[in-house]
Amino acid sequence: MNYNTQFYEKVGETLYEYRHESGLKVFFVKKAGYNKKTAMFGTNYGSIDNVFKVQGSDREIEVPDGIAHFLEHKLFEQKDGNMLDKFSRLGASPNAFTSFTQTVYYFSCTDLFEDNFRMLLDYVQNPWLTDENVEKEKGIIGQEIRMYEDNAEWRVFFNLLECLYVKHPAKLEIAGSIESISKITKELLYDCYHTFYTPSNMIVVVVGDLEPEGVFSIVDDMIKFKDRGKVEKRYPDEPEELNSEYREQKLSVSMPLFYMGIKDNKRVSGAELLKRRIALSIALNDTMGRSSTLYNRLYEEGLINDSFRFEASLDQAFGFVAWGGQSVDPKKTAEIISGVLKELAEKGIDEKSFTRIKKSYQGMYIRSFNSVDTIAREVMDTCFNGTSYFDVGKIYEELDVSYTNNVIREVFNNKAALSVINPL
Amino acid sequence: MGLPAGKTSVEKLAEKNGVQFYRIKSDKFKTTRIDLFFMDNLERDRASGNALLPSILKRGCASYPSVTEFERKLEELYGADIDGGSLKKGETQLISFHMSHISDRYTLGNEKLFDECSQLLMCILEKPLIEENGFKKSVFAKERDNLIDYIRSRVNNKMRFSMTRCIEEMCKGEPYAISEVGSEADALLLTPQNTLELYREMIQTYPAYVYISGEVDDISIQNFIDNFISMGRGNIKSLKTSPVQKNVSEVKRIDESMDVNQGKLCLGFRTQVDACSPDYYPLVVYNGILGGDTHSKLFQNVREKASLAYYAQSILEKYKGLMIILSGIEAENRGKAEEIILKQVEEMKNGNISKEEIEATKKALETGMKSMQDSQGSIVDFFMSQHLTNCTEDFDSQAEKFKSVSMDDVVRIAQNVQLDTVYFLKPNEKASGEGNE
Repeated sequence: MNYNTQFYEKVGETLYEYRHESGLKVFFVKKAGYNKKTAMFGTNYGSIDNVFKVQGSDREIEVPDGIAHFLEHKLFEQKDGNMLDKFSRLGASPNAFTSFTQTVYYFSCTDLFEDNFRMLLDYVQNPWLTDENVEKEKGIIGQEIRMYEDNAEWRVFFNLLECLYVKHPAKLEIAGSIESISKITKELLYDCYHTFYTPSNMIVVVVGDLEPEGVFSIVDDMIKFKDRGKVEKRYPDEPEELNSEYREQKLSVSMPLFYMGIKDNKRVSGAELLKRRIALSIALNDTMGRSSTLYNRLYEEGLINDSFRFEASLDQAFGFVAWGGQSVDPKKTAEIISGVLKELAEKGIDEKSFTRIKKSYQGMYIRSFNSVDTIAREVMDTCFNGTSYFDVGKIYEELDVSYTNNVIREVFNNKAALSVINPL
Repeated sequence: MGLPAGKTSVEKLAEKNGVQFYRIKSDKFKTTRIDLFFMDNLERDRASGNALLPSILKRGCASYPSVTEFERKLEELYGADIDGGSLKKGETQLISFHMSHISDRYTLGNEKLFDECSQLLMCILEKPLIEENGFKKSVFAKERDNLIDYIRSRVNNKMRFSMTRCIEEMCKGEPYAISEVGSEADALLLTPQNTLELYREMIQTYPAYVYISGEVDDISIQNFIDNFISMGRGNIKSLKTSPVQKNVSEVKRIDESMDVNQGKLCLGFRTQVDACSPDYYPLVVYNGILGGDTHSKLFQNVREKASLAYYAQSILEKYKGLMIILSGIEAENRGKAEEIILKQVEEMKNGNISKEEIEATKKALETGMKSMQDSQGSIVDFFMSQHLTNCTEDFDSQAEKFKSVSMDDVVRIAQNVQLDTVYFLKPNEKASGEGNE
């Protein structure tokens, strides 16, 4: 059996990589001494992939919002019963998620890994959709959507994306709306399935105390589907400007909630994407992290509290930086933050802070290897973005303050949008 | 495939003046940590003050009076983490403190981090910022305001809010009704002086448990223990146990309205089972079959068959013998959902449980017991809970107990489970939230 083995000394882990003949990429990370084993089977297909050419035809279609997530729910249903039950009978805990760019099916278990792994590989290759089971799911997903409608943190986030993006489907709700899912049919789901669930568009990741040959030979045995060719999907051209600068909604909350963000208009992939993401995280940490003057000023003035967070969310298809939390006065807070960011864009960050924060991020990177689930998730995410999670260590070594300051100038000169949830 | 995983165990290192020190044995993690818990009885006039202590202490100490400097120091130590909080287990309030850092071998120059990090932890514990025989006024005022905001903000998460309200109504008059962060009214009675007094009580008299895990040498551990016990201790407070027996004479029904889209239905039950009694094991299996996982009766019937909900589950509060069933539904389906839920509870009583259901649940518990040992935090939580309830089972023996639960045991437990309170968070007639920009 032909596979690559690479030991990464800095994190003390070994990555095994195997390319199945169908084009499916398979990764395995051995975690000696761990009881838990996690396996993920994912496709590079998420909520933003709503305009594409249907495989095997010249038809380009636009599908209803929320269909990738709907398909995720439906794949659990098989002719001879629900997959959730089958995994449970073997003591495994199965689940799945749909993000902007991925749909991932997974389970974790401690025993009977092989049986569970075979089931995972099997059901993702074999959808079983009927008009009746598609209709039934609309009630369940409808309640999932209703739950998010009441979730202020979710709302403040998606309202911000609505401000940031004029056309890009990142602004769309992952689960869609009650109205959009009502248009979903068995036929449309099959079109999506046949287009995106093809080996060269998919990845398998396994993490746990197992042996690579064992894992890869199960893949060999179970992968039956043939590649249907390159996925052709299309995103609209997103202008550099904001869709709107401000959006406000009222919900039952105790105090206002805000989320503010800036669009990153430069598209990169591979190691460059990781490097840019880390540089932006360090910039945000320096400006508004707990060790920053700004954070402590806002905290002392009672404008933010412990709920304050920031993120650098970068993908091949879109990217933004965002921050927020509870605040008695979102507008005033936003104004102060904007002032400091303007300064950041002009002056950049200094070498000393950069070095200190980078060290702290290197520590967090090491920590992430404590969890089999985190490793599996990151290995998959980085691979879909054309790079490897194990290269992050090297990226930290390369990353310097001048690169970081270039990225800062590219991003923080853009205008910020503000989303606010006010109490009723 | 795979090697048999190592056994996770705990060793008692020392016990002095009501502080117990434990070393957790498990060498697979890349982080080293200290978890410490001060314990108090959950009481109305103490809960808010106790909850405020970690927030104040985190805001600086004699060697690091500025938070900015303190946080920068943590960043230099490879993103070391020092944190604290308040939680409740049954009618015990726990004030927790935590320190963690990456293991020395992953630092750039094999630096030794434990001594410095544990000194930072000791600094916030031992040398808070004090003025005029009270906590520093500005810090106190800010953190008390934040605590009050936090108490008010529990309404934001509707699922948790409805569960908390259900428990409050159910346990009215019992200490368990008190929140782990106390109440706004009680927080308003706090002053820098009486909170400092409470802090001294915590340091000197609360029983405490300390857990050290990850790679660290024995000398460093001993130094930390010596430093810790050099803080003065007085008469150690004794903790009450949480009574779990309660006969329900009449089911309480509470409806509350709010401007929400989805209704939240919460059913609170008394199980009459003590955390460390032999009945605890069949209770956990009972709960698993009823609403613990995707194979459970609630998930299958409320969600999969009736399509009424995205989630329908039951949760145990181990230390108080409570079980809470939660589901998010359309207001118009409330009657139907409650009926289906109660039908499942009846099915359990009547022993209508398949062999597959009990087996799947027991397997899930076995997986859970093994998986817990892959997280340092979960290992600490497991042993701390055992110590709190004077249970002697370890991971392996507890897993055995779950395995040996029989169908008869489960049905016997089902007979004693009593519905106590039905709480419904009802959407107002004109639900808002859409299109009101």
